[in-house]
Amino acid sequence: MNAPDQDKDLINLLKTDVNKGFRLVVEKYSSRLYWHIRRLVILHEDADDALQNTFISAWKNMSDFRNESSLYTWLYAIATNESLTLINKRKRNAATSIDDIGTYLAGSIEGSTWFDGDAAQIKLQNAILQLPEKQRIVFNLKYFDEMTYEDMSKVLKTSEGALKASYHHAVKKIEKYLEGA
Amino acid sequence: MKRIDETAGKNPFRVPENYFEDVTRRIIAETAEKEAEPARPRVLAGVRPYLAMAAAVALLAVLSYVTVKVFMPLKDQRSIPEISIQEFSDSYLNDIDILMLEESAGSLLFSEEVPEVSQTEIIDYLVLENIDINEIHELL
Repeated sequence: MNAPDQDKDLINLLKTDVNKGFRLVVEKYSSRLYWHIRRLVILHEDADDALQNTFISAWKNMSDFRNESSLYTWLYAIATNESLTLINKRKRNAATSIDDIGTYLAGSIEGSTWFDGDAAQIKLQNAILQLPEKQRIVFNLKYFDEMTYEDMSKVLKTSEGALKASYHHAVKKIEKYLEGA
Repeated sequence: MKRIDETAGKNPFRVPENYFEDVTRRIIAETAEKEAEPARPRVLAGVRPYLAMAAAVALLAVLSYVTVKVFMPLKDQRSIPEISIQEFSDSYLNDIDILMLEESAGSLLFSEEVPEVSQTEIIDYLVLENIDINEIHELL
């Protein structure tokens, strides 16, 4: 999934023509980042907000971005932060306790207009939503985005060993949840 | 992973029609109104000439000091009075409460406090030691 070589051209373009370069960045990454965000915030409307905030934040902090070696991991890190910010906002607004946010988001799935998964997919999503926040992010990045642990360690600022263990824990918990469901 | 893999490759989430074209347009329009943050000016770049001057002056000062110390007669140098170990212990150590000294040293040497080690650090260590991930999972 990593595309550092293709991104080199994009980074060079950003240095010479920031508007054109940024437009290509949005075109290339909007879909991929949207799905990453959507799996974290669940609701389409929230994902839409977080996606726009991600790119606006990237645009505002373009000077940092130009010094980064990997555009891909930098954007994922911003998208993850924006998703967590939005989840925290939902927690406050819904007066939901921190522990209940998984249940709260799971409840949003079935009522969502933009979700048409079957029973197995709903179960899987519910199982994922029972995971602690960080473990859920690690699981999603590995399982759905197929991100390497090396890239993930840059996104989450966590060692590869801890990420491997975290993913392993997540899989065990999900399997256990599905067996009991 | 068998149970999880039953749903692999299927995305249960949906988006409105033409959503990605639409959101791309909205993002471009919104960012076009805002200026991109200009590249941060390098703080050191502006003061570099002054730093060079300051370094040159400091170097001159050091060289002058060394020159004066090497070539000037020793008449003004005061020797430090020699003091025996016995005198030192009689005069200085008598002023210190030995019990207090032992207590503070003891608390440092025989402290039972174990430094806190996070789970992440333990996992990192075990992974580095090539401990099987299943064993780590069972241990933690």
